[in-house]
Amino acid sequence: MTGKPFMIAAFAIVAGLMALVPQLGSEYWLGVAFIVAMWIALIQSWSLLSATTGYISLGHAVFYGIGAYVLVVSLDWMPVPYALALSGAAAGLLALVVGLPVLRVKGPYFVILTFGFAELVKNLVMLLETRLGQFSRMIFDAPSLEALYYAMLVLAVIATAIAAWTAQSRFGRGLAAIRENEVAAEAIGVPVTRLKLFAFVASAIIPGIVGGLLVLRTSYFAADQAFDPAVSFTIVTTAIVGGLGRVSGPLLGTLFLVILSELLWARFPQAYMMILGGLLIVFILFVPQGLAGLIRKGLGRA
Amino acid sequence: MFQQLLFAAVVSGALYALVALGLNLVYGSLRLLNIAHGDLVMIGAYVAFWSFTLLGISPVVSLATTTVLCAAFGFLVYVVLLKRQLGSPALAQRLEANSLIIFYGLSVILQNGASLAFSATSRGYQFLDGVHSFGGVSATGSMLLLLGVAAAVTLGALAFLRFHVAGWSLLAVIERKDAAAVVGVNVERVQMISICAGFAIAGVAGVLVSMTQQITPFMGFPFTIAAFVVVIMGGLGNIAAGIAAGFVLGFIETFGVALTSATYRSILIYGIFVGVLLLRPQGLFGKAVQAR
Repeated sequence: MTGKPFMIAAFAIVAGLMALVPQLGSEYWLGVAFIVAMWIALIQSWSLLSATTGYISLGHAVFYGIGAYVLVVSLDWMPVPYALALSGAAAGLLALVVGLPVLRVKGPYFVILTFGFAELVKNLVMLLETRLGQFSRMIFDAPSLEALYYAMLVLAVIATAIAAWTAQSRFGRGLAAIRENEVAAEAIGVPVTRLKLFAFVASAIIPGIVGGLLVLRTSYFAADQAFDPAVSFTIVTTAIVGGLGRVSGPLLGTLFLVILSELLWARFPQAYMMILGGLLIVFILFVPQGLAGLIRKGLGRA
Repeated sequence: MFQQLLFAAVVSGALYALVALGLNLVYGSLRLLNIAHGDLVMIGAYVAFWSFTLLGISPVVSLATTTVLCAAFGFLVYVVLLKRQLGSPALAQRLEANSLIIFYGLSVILQNGASLAFSATSRGYQFLDGVHSFGGVSATGSMLLLLGVAAAVTLGALAFLRFHVAGWSLLAVIERKDAAAVVGVNVERVQMISICAGFAIAGVAGVLVSMTQQITPFMGFPFTIAAFVVVIMGGLGNIAAGIAAGFVLGFIETFGVALTSATYRSILIYGIFVGVLLLRPQGLFGKAVQAR
């Protein structure tokens, strides 16, 4: 394939251009770029488990929420970088603890389980906060948006690099074997349980840190917002619109999503969500290869 | 006190059994998990609310109109989204895996559509709210109506499955679709009727809910989860066990909340949901349904 160095160069150029955004000196564009990097990081990390193995998670927001919560609590005792590391570690630990039993559940059962599990954790955190007499928490002296943006961009690059590495590694082929036929994969010696658990934990750490960064950006934490199921919904929709199983899918999906949300979200939030729902159905049924697949097909024909 | 709690448990159990019955019908015959099921309950509730407050139409009449409306919506979903995919085996396989995501999209559309059209304000109306007392239990007329209608629909469904030849073909499709087709069951037709009936039952449940609680565009989600809990406890596709499981959930919820506090309600429901799925995805009682 001659495409590989070309793709790497393309990703490097995108990352380089994004690194230059703070030079524009515009708070608005920096905010938009922050959101772009955030969704790329979230969707690439979601894809690591769900797109490669076919274990579709509708509860990715749970890791994001845990990261946000751990950050806002731990900030009282430690400086920001340590708190962020702790956010990622907490999300990874949660995935490690629940991973074995959860990943035993297969097919549609897994899908609804992730959905219910995220709601359970959300309600537990809400109960805990009520018990502690906290309804929301504020953060004072958060780092500048510029610093947060660079951190988010690094996460997006790392998540994309992991996705690209996975796609051509032994690990990635093992995950693909699980998607194609888990029983057969196990029979020929693929360590399915270990691979699934590894992918699950790895896919949880990045959203944990992302959640921490977003709380620093908004300076505000409320459990029902941090664990908002709309985040999980947006991740799934954007990943599917962008195209599963291609490293460029989440990038294209995010680009599309952010344009749509800039146009609609502030003025017509409900219409925006309805359009997302419609896109999800249309892409699943009629364009399963997503935007990335459409573009590749278009290029192939030309 | 105990009788009162028992009565409350029976009322919510009957409601859960009814909501889960519709979900189970659709899963049983189409193998599609309808995550938008609770949103049909919401639509039924709004039909009853607007009919009552704008036109003065009794919710009893709305039971009929929602049945027709939701069944028509089910037909539309079947024809537009499902029919072509179900027809071809290759597409059906993908559709089954993706069905949850498709209904997930539908759910978001319905919730936000309702919120756009009716605003997110919670609404309610008074209907048959006179209190009747008997045997240490106080009940409003609307609760009794709810019980009566829920009992009539669930018992009717059971009798239909037990005694009517069309009920047998439905059971056959639930049991083994390909074998049912071999012995001459019109699988496509059974599936279409199941989805219409499943949607209609959800709408009926919504009318009943609107008489006894406040309604909002986002009220459907907890019903979806409760219905999933019930259906999974009873075994996916197992209609009779699902009805029994509805009452089990009603009892656990009512007494669990009475023993702790109302803030534990959602934790209880989600906890049971996660616990049941982790421990016995094939259902607590009832036979295993292949997860494939």
